[in-house]
Amino acid sequence: MLALAFRFADRSPVAAYLRLEIRRQLRNRRFVIFTIAFPVILYVLYTAVLETDTNGPVAGLAWPVYFLVSMASYGAIGAAMSQANPIAAERASGWTRQLRVTPLPGSAYVTGKLLSAVLLTLPALVLVSVAGASVNHVDLRPAAWVELVVGLALSSVPFAALGILLGYLFDTDSAQGAMVLTFFGMAILGGLFAPIEAFPDPLATIARVLPSYHLAAIGRAIAADRLPDLVDVIVLTAYAVVLGGLAGWRYLRADARAHG
Amino acid sequence: MGVHATATTEANLMLDAAISSHAPAQPAAIDGGRAAAPPRGLEAVAFEAVGKSFGATLALHDVNLAIPAGQTVALLGRNGAGKSTAINVMLGLLTASSGSVRTLGLDPRAAIAAGRVGSMLQSAGLPAGAAVGELVELARALYPHPLGRDDVLERAGLASLARRRVETLSGGELQRVRFALAIAGDPDLIFLDEPTVAMDVESRRAFWDDMRRFAAGGRTVLFATHYLDEADQVADRILVLERGRLVADGSSASIKAAVAERRVRFTLPGADRVAMAAVDGVIGVEIHGDAVALSSRDADATVRALAGAGVPFRDIEVAGPSLERAFLALTGASPDAA
Repeated sequence: MLALAFRFADRSPVAAYLRLEIRRQLRNRRFVIFTIAFPVILYVLYTAVLETDTNGPVAGLAWPVYFLVSMASYGAIGAAMSQANPIAAERASGWTRQLRVTPLPGSAYVTGKLLSAVLLTLPALVLVSVAGASVNHVDLRPAAWVELVVGLALSSVPFAALGILLGYLFDTDSAQGAMVLTFFGMAILGGLFAPIEAFPDPLATIARVLPSYHLAAIGRAIAADRLPDLVDVIVLTAYAVVLGGLAGWRYLRADARAHG
Repeated sequence: MGVHATATTEANLMLDAAISSHAPAQPAAIDGGRAAAPPRGLEAVAFEAVGKSFGATLALHDVNLAIPAGQTVALLGRNGAGKSTAINVMLGLLTASSGSVRTLGLDPRAAIAAGRVGSMLQSAGLPAGAAVGELVELARALYPHPLGRDDVLERAGLASLARRRVETLSGGELQRVRFALAIAGDPDLIFLDEPTVAMDVESRRAFWDDMRRFAAGGRTVLFATHYLDEADQVADRILVLERGRLVADGSSASIKAAVAERRVRFTLPGADRVAMAAVDGVIGVEIHGDAVALSSRDADATVRALAGAGVPFRDIEVAGPSLERAFLALTGASPDAA
């Protein structure tokens, strides 16, 4: 970790690459609308504007707090997976080839994508939290807000790995579609829109194996001011290891092929 | 500039004396501010019996070449002749199937990792959403001893475009950005794969002016092109590839000279085609009215024979082949002409 921090000293190649990646994504209108504006708007809509039939607490949390975690999770997952299309596009356009003939190590490309995906979860996480505190007067301890944002950002690592994997599995035409399908599937089946408590049994069983469910569960534990369940942490870690391994394997394959 | 002139003259003398693969001329001092740079003078690129095959297709066949530091070299050939394959092998993007490849005396990938090589790949995509200046900053951050940001922008003719996003640029402007990325790290060796392909005539001229200024610091430049005039005007030395083989290697003049054919033209009313074809050395006859053009494999013998026979020709002139004719001769029907 310390070594990593040193490598990000101001003028390091990886830091420069990461900086440009983040700027580029924040200029991408589709990214800003779907992964930053969308969760904030949905949150305000379903907690302060529209009448919902959910009045009482869900899973021990008041609805504005419960849905805050849902929408923060939704934004974090979308942002984390958002590198799928850029990777597919940059492989097709030859930008990755151009980077290969610079001193930037090949692994730094994929590491930069992973780190930028995780860092880019922060705008949605922070803005949904701000909407909760300002519009709905959600009242968490200051430290709990920080834990919520950081906890969900770290929990999004498996989704960042998934986005990278999709970028290597699919080409430019299909990567975006594959990412959107996976993303919405994860969000809906993981109980981010309708609470899993309202799911019929078979669906609830599916939800419990999805990483999206466990990511939101970690957020809800923090919002309820208790420690996350160990099982949620274990499941997300396992997903991170497996998806990260698969993404790394596809990356190495693409790299070997490019070196013919 | 004095340094540049000296280096180029040395290189040309060396080339004219003996085509290629001799001990490199040492370009003496390099421009100021580069004292920390590694010494130049090694061979920038060395191929020993390099072969590269893709399945059953032989893309490079037993290629030997040595490019001393400081030369500007054109790699000439038709589409599919192996130009890009050769460059990709020099860059370590492809691994040679056989033979040995050294770039700046190192394994190509080590030379890349050391930040001593810049390259402009054929139509390398640039990432959407990035501004020109930001890409230059990125490229600078990737190399250990980069040129200054404004210096790079100015050398690539991009000073007024620094804030523009790449998706708003024209094809020629994008090529300039690729050029900027190639020079940002102040490399010892720069590869350009068909750099002017998207440019109009004016942009091409401006591009080569910038390129010459960059090469003037004793840097080695290797560019692939199928524009013969670019090779003729820009390069100290030309390599001609045909079907994966190196069929010619030398200065533009020496390559033209390697093609024995000369054109002997004169004015002669009522010239007889059969008589002309029988003159010493003549291998082809064209007659248009009074104008006669003979193709000769020995112009001296042809002119002597004409004069000796008392042929009343006027306005005689002898011309060597254009580089284009030489190229056609080298790569066309008679590849053994080399």
